[in-house]
Amino acid sequence: MSETPNHIEPPDDDTLAAEFVLGVLSAAERETVARRIARDRGFAARVKSWQLRLVPWSDDIAPVQPSLDVWTRISAALPPERAVHAARARFWDSLVFWRSLTVAACALAAVCLVVLVATIRQPAQPVLLAAIDGGGHHHFIATIDPARDTVAVVPAAYVADPTRVPELWLIPPGGKPHSLGLLNADRTVTLTIPAELRRVARNRAVLAVSLEPPGGSATGSPTGPVIAQGRLTNL
Amino acid sequence: MLRVAAGERTALQTTYRLTSAKLFGVCLRILHDRGEAEDVLQEVYLTVWQKAAEFDPARSSPMTWLITIARNRSIDRLRSKGLSRRMEPIDAANEIPDAAPLADESLADGQANARLKACLGGLATHEQTALRGAFFDGNTYEDLAERMSVPLGTMKSWIRRALQKLKACLEPTER
Repeated sequence: MSETPNHIEPPDDDTLAAEFVLGVLSAAERETVARRIARDRGFAARVKSWQLRLVPWSDDIAPVQPSLDVWTRISAALPPERAVHAARARFWDSLVFWRSLTVAACALAAVCLVVLVATIRQPAQPVLLAAIDGGGHHHFIATIDPARDTVAVVPAAYVADPTRVPELWLIPPGGKPHSLGLLNADRTVTLTIPAELRRVARNRAVLAVSLEPPGGSATGSPTGPVIAQGRLTNL
Repeated sequence: MLRVAAGERTALQTTYRLTSAKLFGVCLRILHDRGEAEDVLQEVYLTVWQKAAEFDPARSSPMTWLITIARNRSIDRLRSKGLSRRMEPIDAANEIPDAAPLADESLADGQANARLKACLGGLATHEQTALRGAFFDGNTYEDLAERMSVPLGTMKSWIRRALQKLKACLEPTER
């Protein structure tokens, strides 16, 4: 890293991939890179890695509702229904895809519901929500009701393990995990937050789920693998 | 839960219903023009329709995949039309970071965002500012050099060094 302003080396592959994803390249450079992605798998993998690194920054962009006629235009541009079955794409068949989108929808629904409840109940303390995400097979949605000091956990996607049970942990920023209790693979579980933990069950604390022997961890700390985690956020 | 019995058109419509506001936000942020952003949004979903087979659930979340398409299309549109882009001078010292929308965090991978933010926080202010201008405003090296009043070579060095640092910071915990 000793480039001087007037003498810049051409970027190596990894840097070029990063520049493409970041969006700093010119039209001509972007075109060259796009062609390269199409024929060079190794380079395409670098681009994909940079997407995973940088695209989460888009979380900072607030959603904006497009005009209603955009869908009408898309729908009109699609080929007739019959013509497409031959090229049936595995994307639509992907359970992971739908599960993730369903989780997104559940989270949205949970947000709406909680906002509604919070609006009705006056004076409302801020309700906290966490999407406890461990990838496709382990996903829970948790809402903390500060008025009742309870946490309700919905298993949005969970593949049950026959020998172990999911246990919920509260981890304050910079602190140790505290057990909140055991979860159920099939139904919503509402747990009471112990008095000594109410102070730390706040915005930015993390909820995590680990797999423990039946009855839960005997040590007071997670003993099995942490399969999912998510940060509490204010609504 | 949502098996797509009625055919792909319904699947695309469901995808649109769940994700269009987020993707439109992404397009609009880069393009600053509702009409242009809506044109691009339309292209994005037609691309999703055509390229559905390229989505690899093992390597990418659907949201990352969709946002990537929206970003690429928006940046290509910005470049191709020479559209007006955000070009007001930026002074790193006066930068106001975007506030993260609250409810939205639960939609995408909040963990990855938090990790990225922690690593971005470790960069020098001018590096953060330059990356932000590139990522959110779709600025080129030339744009950024102009906006931050530094030579082009300096801007390239800043960004490349910042990207290296980011990678080094993210790598140990990457899944």
